[in-house]
This record gives sequence, structure tokens and C-alpha cells, in this order.
Amino acid sequence: MIPEISHLLTILAAGLFLFSFLVILSSNALRSTDSIIRLSLNCFNAATIFLICAFILYVYLAVMDDFSVKYIAMHSNSDLPIFYKISSIWSSHEGSMFLWILFLSLWLWLFVNRLDTQSNLFRYVIFFSAMVLLFFLLFLLVTSSPFERILPLAPINGGDINPVLQDPALVIHPPMLYLGYVGFAVPFVYICAYLADGEFRQGWETIIQKWSLYAWAFLTLGIGLGSWWAYYELGWGGYWFWDPVENVALMPWLAATAFTHSIHASTKSGVLKSWTLFLGLSVFILSLFGAFIVRSGIIDSVHSFANDPQRGLTLLLITGVIALISFGLFSFRSIKIVNSRLVVSGSKESFLSLNNILMITSIFSVFLGVIYPLITQYFYSTKVSIGPPYYNTIFAPLIFIAACFIALSVESKWQRKWKLTETLSKLSIPILISCFLTFIVQSLHQYSVSLIQMIGLFSGIFIISIYAFKLLMNSVNREFINWSSAVSHLGFGLLLFSIAGNSIFSYEKNLKLNVNEEYITEELEISFDDLSLKDESNHQRIIAQINMKIHEKIISFSPEKRKYFTRGQVTSETDIEATFLRDIYINIGEQLDDGSWTFRVQFNYLIKWIWFSVLLMILGILIRSRAIV
Amino acid sequence: MLPHRKKRLQNILLLLGSSFIGIFLILSALNSQLDLFYSPSELNKNNLPKERIKLGGMVKKGSIKYEDTKILFVLTDFEEDLDIEFDGIPPDLFKEDSGAVMLGSFDGNGVFVAEEVFAKHDENYMPPELSK
Repeated sequence: MIPEISHLLTILAAGLFLFSFLVILSSNALRSTDSIIRLSLNCFNAATIFLICAFILYVYLAVMDDFSVKYIAMHSNSDLPIFYKISSIWSSHEGSMFLWILFLSLWLWLFVNRLDTQSNLFRYVIFFSAMVLLFFLLFLLVTSSPFERILPLAPINGGDINPVLQDPALVIHPPMLYLGYVGFAVPFVYICAYLADGEFRQGWETIIQKWSLYAWAFLTLGIGLGSWWAYYELGWGGYWFWDPVENVALMPWLAATAFTHSIHASTKSGVLKSWTLFLGLSVFILSLFGAFIVRSGIIDSVHSFANDPQRGLTLLLITGVIALISFGLFSFRSIKIVNSRLVVSGSKESFLSLNNILMITSIFSVFLGVIYPLITQYFYSTKVSIGPPYYNTIFAPLIFIAACFIALSVESKWQRKWKLTETLSKLSIPILISCFLTFIVQSLHQYSVSLIQMIGLFSGIFIISIYAFKLLMNSVNREFINWSSAVSHLGFGLLLFSIAGNSIFSYEKNLKLNVNEEYITEELEISFDDLSLKDESNHQRIIAQINMKIHEKIISFSPEKRKYFTRGQVTSETDIEATFLRDIYINIGEQLDDGSWTFRVQFNYLIKWIWFSVLLMILGILIRSRAIV
Repeated sequence: MLPHRKKRLQNILLLLGSSFIGIFLILSALNSQLDLFYSPSELNKNNLPKERIKLGGMVKKGSIKYEDTKILFVLTDFEEDLDIEFDGIPPDLFKEDSGAVMLGSFDGNGVFVAEEVFAKHDENYMPPELSK
């Protein structure tokens, strides 16, 4: 009964969004009155509440192990701990789409209820919000319903979550990522409304800026968590792999980053107005495009869901329609938008715009990398894959130029031409420091650091030292400092530095050891002391005891293998010993014919710094968001 | 020509020029960095590619052997077989009779030396060319 109630509530929500949409549509013809707009707002609110209730009921079903629901039967299991039962909902396509739509409606609901109902824009905001939600609810109900039941004979137990996904990160990574993706629906619907309304009042930036910053923070956190998970999970190619699914998350992130910068320039100095509007639309469209790539299976990826071309086509259609409507509106209306001022060359906003161009270039390159295999397959029937070298080659020069523009924009002022000598004198110390440190690293490493690594290292140190210098000046003689910019750019510099450092210093070893056997080199001793078995509720653990003696210090590791009963699948759990500078990462491989086991030992330098710098960037953005009223 | 038009023309030409250069650079990076994707039967045994490629297929039943830290197996698409050598620990979903994708190149003796072997989230995964 409860599954039907949940299903019915979702259908009712779709119906109410449709009604709310139609009310606004007709109000245009009827000359809108307050009561009509209030009616559609009430419908919208009711629909969201229905959707929330439907999802809560669905969570209840998952917790209570109702295996008559096909989706829950396929992805959950009564042996699972409760938090996995709940997160099994978003472990595959249908349920994760449900969550995605729930978040979409929550964001829009919060936004709509904060707006001034008297303003002319308001009805358009409701109109576009209801439209987007309606599209996706229909998609959920028609092509990927999580409510299907297996009746009358429900299975006694469920099929379990895919063991590879049984990880605490599953509880938090997808929700954060989705909150980020759909959070950009808020600026999207507002910009659509702004363009449709056509009055073009000033001050629209402040209304959506805070929302965009929050969405940016969620998206960044989501990507960061995903990268951390992929790092310790074997076989996902490490923290960043330029896999299509990672790339389609990177594209909206880059667009969102460009957007947060240009909206800032737009509020501060009245430039780049229509460009900002365009970017705001693009972020959400790129998020939708990402959903299409991940869920259609059109591109081969390590992270993709089980695929269904039919769904892909529907999603592409929805994305296409939404893009057509929004960009159509933009191209008809944006011509009337006037910037209150012009970009002065050599001013802060000019460097900001240049970096915007770089970010667009990088989005374009990533986009090309993602779709190029499709193009060659379709037109030349050769299959190709675009690997990390392509992206590294493209990104290295872009990041170098971006670092220079960041430096120049820090030292310049809004609407004012730069003073060449003054800027150069201010930047000379950071330039010297970063050249010097890059050279030190190069010589420490026997001159084997590649050009791309050097560029990354240099850019990272350059950005860090500029802001470190600023911080110093602030503490010494109370010079003004923009804290949010300083913290987030320090994060970005540190990110570049740690990525480059990680690729320069890290190394790995494969070992073959019997129990009680030792492996000894000059720097370290590794001994394989014990192998034990342990039974858990839904799997058996094979745990290896490894002791490593390095720099006179003994560290013990217990990497393990898990055999899951339900699916007979095996997963490996790495054991990581983290110190300030590096991670020692051990994982256990196969048992060989002679009874010995293979192990992989990795020394990953500066790896934790990557996520620390991501947190810094988020912190910087949160500081900024507090400053906006 | 009016001075402001001249300036605008200059700007447009500059923009066009730089975007052409940009696109040219991106495309040339693309062309030099891409890996061709094959299944075993798409390769000509007498003329194996020398560059790095991606290879996809099924791990043949009963073919997995270990030699020191190396793992040796046969990749098949049920038409042709290829010998694969991989020094490292394969992902968890790597097993007999299931799909695998690897990146690497051929050594002199027609053995494919994999630098990396990839797994999928989904244990029912099949390379697209086999599921047809």
C-alpha cells in the first residue's frame, strides 16, 4: 500500500506542477491578478510538500525492507546496516533520479518563497520552475519509475547494493553532488524569468548571487568527495582520471566558477551583464548535459550506471528543449541589456574577463574530449579514447596564463587602468620565489620533471606566494585584504601545487609475499605477518597484517579483501597510513598458485593536500556568501 | 572608414584570429593524444599497431595465470584471442568470463603489455561491442 501512496503523491506533485504552470500561462492572457499568482504559488508549494512526503515514504520502504518494490529488491538487502539501506536509494539510476528531482524541487521551493510576490518577475519564476520540475517528474514517472512492484510474489531478500559502492562515501557523495548540480536551477529560472519579463531592472545579481555561491560550494564538495572516494577505491583510476563522468562534472564546475567571477564583476563595476546571464544559463544546461552523458551510457566510462539508450534519448530531448527555450530567450532579449559601464583595459574586470575566456576555452576543450570519440565512431567508424595526456596538454598552458591573470587582477583596481611599473614591482618577489622553488624541485629530482609538471608547480607556488604576500602586508601594516578571494585563491594555488607535487614525487611498487616473508631494501622493510578470516553480516573479510619499517618507524597495515555472500563479488579495501606529507597506500591483490599474495604499495605525496585545498576554496566562497545580504 | 569602425574591425579580426589559433592548438593536441580503441578481432595479427591503444573484450575462461607479480591472461571477443600481460593488481571486478578494458601496447612478440586495466561499477558490464 505504501509504495502506491508514494507513487500517487509523486504523480499528484507532477499534476500540481502542471497546474501551477498552466495557471501562469493562462494568467498571461487573462491579465494576471494577485489571486491567480497566489493560486499557482500554493499549487507549487503543495506539489513540493507532496514530493517530500513521497520521498520520505520511499525512504521508509527502504528502511523497512519492502522487497515488493522492484528497485529496492534489486539494490538493497535486509542484512545491510540502516544507512546503506537508505543510501541504496541513490545507488542506481531510478532512485538517484528521484533524489535529484527532490533536491531540484527543494532548491526552487526555498527560492520561490523568498522572492517578492508583488514583483512582475515572480510569475515567470514560478512558470519556469514548474516547467523544469514537470519535465523531470514526467521523465521519472514514464521512463524510470522507482515504484514498480513485484507482485504477488515478492522476493524474500534483496539483491544487495553493488559491493563496490558499499562505502560510507556513498551516503554523502551523491547527495552533495546533486545538490550542487541542481542548485544552479535557481539562477537558471531567475535569469529565464528576468529575460522573459523584459524590464531589465538593476540589482538582479544580488538576488541570485548567494544562491549560486551555495550551489558552487555543494558542487565543489561533491566533486571533491567523489575524487577522494575514487582515490581509495581500487580500479577507479585514482583521484582524477579524466573519465567522461568526471569531465561532465568538471564542465558545469568551470562554468559555475566563471559565473561566480563574472557576477562579481557585474555587481562591482556594472560590466559583463549579458555575459553573466549567458553563463548562468549555461551552468544548468551543462549540468543537464552531464546527467544525459552519465545516464544514457552513450560514452564508455568507469563510473556510469547500467545503461538504457531510450532514457538517454528522452533526457537529451528534455535538455534540448530547456536549452532551446532559455538560449532562445537570451538571444531575443539580451540585445536590450545595457552595461552601465564598459570594461577598462588593464583594470580588475578586464583580467577577470580574460580568465572567463580561459575558462570557456577549457570547457570547450573538455567538451571536445568527451564527444570526440562519438564523432570518430559515427563519421569514421574508428573507436578512439581520449586519455589524460590530452587534458594535461590543454590545461597546463591555460592554467599558466590564468595564474598570471589572477596575479594581475589582484594587483589592479575596478574601472582603473593598471600602472605597469607598480604592478610589476609588486609581483617581482612572488615571481622570483616561484621560479626559485620550481628550480629547487627540478634539481632535487635530477632534472626529470616534465614541462607540464613544472608549469603546474610554478603556477601553484606563484598564486600561493601572491596571496601569502598579501596576508603578510595585511598583518604588518593593516593593508586591505579581500578575505574570501584570498582564502579561495590560496586554495586554488595549493590545489595546483599539490597536484603537480603529487605527480612528481609519487611512486609505487608491486610485491609478492608469503606469510612471514620479508621484503627489504635500503629505505624500508616490509613484512607480511599474518592472514586472518572474519565473518560479517553480509560478507567475509580476509585481512592481511603487514608491518612496514621506514625511517626507524614501524607502521602496521591491514589491507583486506571482502567476499560478499549475495553476489559472490569480491572487493579490496586499501589501507592508508596518512602523514603530513604523504600517504602510504597498500592493497592486497590475488593469491598466486604457490600460496603467496601480491601487494601494491604506493607512496602518494601531497595527496591529502588536494582535498584540503578544495576545502579552502569552499571556505573562501562561504566567507563571500556571508557578505551578501 | 570611420575610426570607431576601424577599431571594431580590428577587434573582430583579433578575436577571430585568436580563436582560430586556439582551436587549431586544441585539435592538434587532440590528434596527438588520442588512443585508438580495438577489440581483438579488429586487429591485424601481422601488422599490430605500434602506438599505445585501448583494448576491450572478455577475459577468457581458465586463462588467468600468475607469474611473479605479473598476471597473464587471454582476452577474447569470441572470434580472436590475444595474450595479455599486466604487472600490477587488477581491479576487483576483473575476473574470468567478464568484460575488461585495458590501455597499453604490444611488445615485439605479439603480447599486449597493459599499463592499466579498468573495471566498471556495474558487475554486469559488457563492452558495447560484445553486447550487440
